[in-house]
Amino acid sequence: MKYLLMIYGNQQKWSSLQAEDWPREIAKQDAYNKKYAATGELLGAYGLADAAASRLVTRKDGVPVLSDGPYLETKEYMASFYLVDVESEERAYELAAEMPWADQYPTEVWPILHESASDA
Amino acid sequence: MPDARTERVTDGTRRRIEGLLREFAPQVLGTLTRRYGQFDACEDATQEALLKAALYWPEHGIPHSPRGWLLTVASRVLIDEFRSDSSRRRREDAVYAATPQSELLGRPADSIADQDEAAPERDDSLKLLFLCCHPSLSVPSQIALTLRAVGGLTTAQIAAAFLVPEATMAQRISRGKATIESGGIRFEMPAGEARERLQAVQHVLYLIFNEGYTASSGENLTAPSLSDEAIRLTRLLRRLLPEDGETAGLLALMLLTDARRPARTLPDGTLVPLAEQDRTRWTSASIAEGVALISEALPRGAVGPFQLQAAIAAVHDEATTMEDTDWPQILGLYDLLQKVAPNPMTTLNRAVAVAMVHGPRAGLMVVESLESDGRMARNHRLLATRAHLRELAGDRDGAASDYRQAAQRTASVPERRYLIGRAAALDA
Repeated sequence: MKYLLMIYGNQQKWSSLQAEDWPREIAKQDAYNKKYAATGELLGAYGLADAAASRLVTRKDGVPVLSDGPYLETKEYMASFYLVDVESEERAYELAAEMPWADQYPTEVWPILHESASDA
Repeated sequence: MPDARTERVTDGTRRRIEGLLREFAPQVLGTLTRRYGQFDACEDATQEALLKAALYWPEHGIPHSPRGWLLTVASRVLIDEFRSDSSRRRREDAVYAATPQSELLGRPADSIADQDEAAPERDDSLKLLFLCCHPSLSVPSQIALTLRAVGGLTTAQIAAAFLVPEATMAQRISRGKATIESGGIRFEMPAGEARERLQAVQHVLYLIFNEGYTASSGENLTAPSLSDEAIRLTRLLRRLLPEDGETAGLLALMLLTDARRPARTLPDGTLVPLAEQDRTRWTSASIAEGVALISEALPRGAVGPFQLQAAIAAVHDEATTMEDTDWPQILGLYDLLQKVAPNPMTTLNRAVAVAMVHGPRAGLMVVESLESDGRMARNHRLLATRAHLRELAGDRDGAASDYRQAAQRTASVPERRYLIGRAAALDA
């Protein structure tokens, strides 16, 4: 069963961490990613760029039209997401709880309803 | 780029070759592992031999002894592998010691190997199944390893069937093999715990079948049908253990379930519930085989859950309509099943049988007994069953609300579409 694990945050949360602590935090996350890639459960882990770098895109007359917002009203935006394929719902919760920051910030866990084969 | 000669190879020949390779894969791997140990290296060597055959045979013809050819090529791959790795010197010695002189000197690739190898496959395929479904492996690893080592599928094919990246599937397989190596798991028939270990094998085959049966993705040319593969492997298990009633029951259950596949979905993927299926489209040959299997297995005693589920499926498959179905017999079988293997899903299915025999209210009372079960309270199947029974009892609002909630909770798109459709029909 596949699940999407999502971590949200905001500028305040990131700023609360000292610059010199980042390498250690990143190393923790890398270790987590390596561990679950090795078990064959982590399909992919993706960190997103700053919200300032994101764009809203619509199509007008067949061409993309970009804007800087407005975004949906959220206090937090998605910072990273992880695609996992695990044996059970319980296992997905286990992996989510093992995220390095899960003792302070929750991880959203969404079951994946459907997907397309990449080669179909 | 294929040359003209390759292109002349017919699809029929390719299919025949693929079939032979998949059939011989576990025999070759089993023989190698028995001879040299080191399952991990033997498995790689077997895959490479299969690959070579897949390239060589279409052009040059199928060798006189396909199994001997594969065994010779795989042994050479294995020996080359050991030779190239000087740190494995000791293993190399072990291989040389175990290799007949004649083989080291080389012989025509298609000659039959020694008499021992030419003999039927001994118990190697069975040992291989036990090894791949060893309890120290995770279930996803058991499935992946079984499909590759016993099923002879490539990592890419298995990855495509489960819609995961090939690298992820490769990781599951290599992790499984590493667990076998590091755990010192022996390539032998499990003594003492044979029953539990066999149950693990049957469970893995059943999971593979279910994955194929419920998968929502359409025909995928690169991925073989997992339900077909599960049936093929269960046939193999039955050939190895003809006396085991549960193996016969599992095979019967798969055949009797798979027989309904042509009527189970519409061309656009919409699910058709059992009550509305066009029963003339069921595969009668599979039903006949399944019924024969279960009729033979049941009276022999030691009735297990697979046999009971197969018996239930057989009663359904033999009825020409939902109304014609022998519901009292189905209820009796569910009562037995609940005794042999109590499980909330069994109770839920039994609730439907109770409703068909004693009326929807009686069925609803059975469902109610499950609602306090934490595992089940949010389960979409409980909600869908309750919806169906409420509908039968004339509670349209309650049914529509249950169908909607069930639709929200299912992880299957066709199922969701079906449940929303039922809710909408009740609103009309």
